[in-house]
Amino acid sequence: MKWPRMLLLAVIGALLAWAWMALHPSPERLIRKQLDGVARAASFGPSQGYLAKLSGAESLAGFFSTNVEINIDLPGHQEHRLAGREEIQQATLAARAAVRGVTVAFPDINILVNADRESALADMTLQAKVAGEPDMIVQEIKATLRHLNGQWLIVKVETVRTLQ
Amino acid sequence: MIETQSGTGHGSRWRILAVGRNPKRTLARAAILAVVSVVVFKFVLLPVRVEGASMAPTYSDHSVNFVNRLSYLWHPPRRGDVVGIRLTPPSANGWSAPHIMYLKRIIGLPGEAISFVNGRVQVNGQTLDEPYEKGPCDWRMAPVTLGPNEYFFVGDNRTMSKEEHVFGKAERARIVGKALL
Repeated sequence: MKWPRMLLLAVIGALLAWAWMALHPSPERLIRKQLDGVARAASFGPSQGYLAKLSGAESLAGFFSTNVEINIDLPGHQEHRLAGREEIQQATLAARAAVRGVTVAFPDINILVNADRESALADMTLQAKVAGEPDMIVQEIKATLRHLNGQWLIVKVETVRTLQ
Repeated sequence: MIETQSGTGHGSRWRILAVGRNPKRTLARAAILAVVSVVVFKFVLLPVRVEGASMAPTYSDHSVNFVNRLSYLWHPPRRGDVVGIRLTPPSANGWSAPHIMYLKRIIGLPGEAISFVNGRVQVNGQTLDEPYEKGPCDWRMAPVTLGPNEYFFVGDNRTMSKEEHVFGKAERARIVGKALL
């Protein structure tokens, strides 16, 4: 077989493999995409009006299941517990009213999809920069996700003390 | 005529300075250098920027350092080493480098009991000599016994309040490597 034909076959093979992966993404890839969406929805700038803040809070709540549980226990702070989408939405609106802006990212994510492929556990590092604050917030968190109505939704979030 | 010759010579000198006498060889060298740099700084010597004051005065806020991931290939971590500690547990399938890590000093080794008495670290009831500790400290903590694979980490800035300072024990697998500088 001549080189140009082999090269063409290799390119076609690579394109087919890429198309297959794009059309049939793995649960891990879908969860990463979902967590990227959470980070984007949780971030906001100083110039947002009330409607944009409300829409942002709604969009963030959409990444969680209706009966989600969130436990936040940060060193030197009071423990917070949230239950359900509505509480998340209210807490998000309150946070957006209290600070000028936040940039959220999850730079290190480990995902373990369970054998049933309907639930998964994500260990990740939360990185948040609050506008006007000199120090960045970094915190290890653990999230449980479940495949509900064709979407990977977060059903539980808890902070983890890396150093105990 | 002389001017033209001089101009051509000047141009070729610049060309030699930019791409060398043999451009193919220069390109190959540049490619090898790029690959080696990517491998070294992505997998071996991780560049880090210190954020916060918990390691002051040893490392100041915004200072730059490197974490050497090969430092514990031949021996276990030692007391006094400043190490990078990953927040997300290591993945089962790879040697992926974390983007965010704590930079802390090891003060306790596996099996030891660590406590703070009047601001001084005690290891199995004996006061630890810490020449890097400069400021006053009033921390108190009951003894914490470390498991067979656990280390105790703390920052050098003990002038800040204990509640604001992240410190404690973690497993060996969380240690990314030793700070280089």
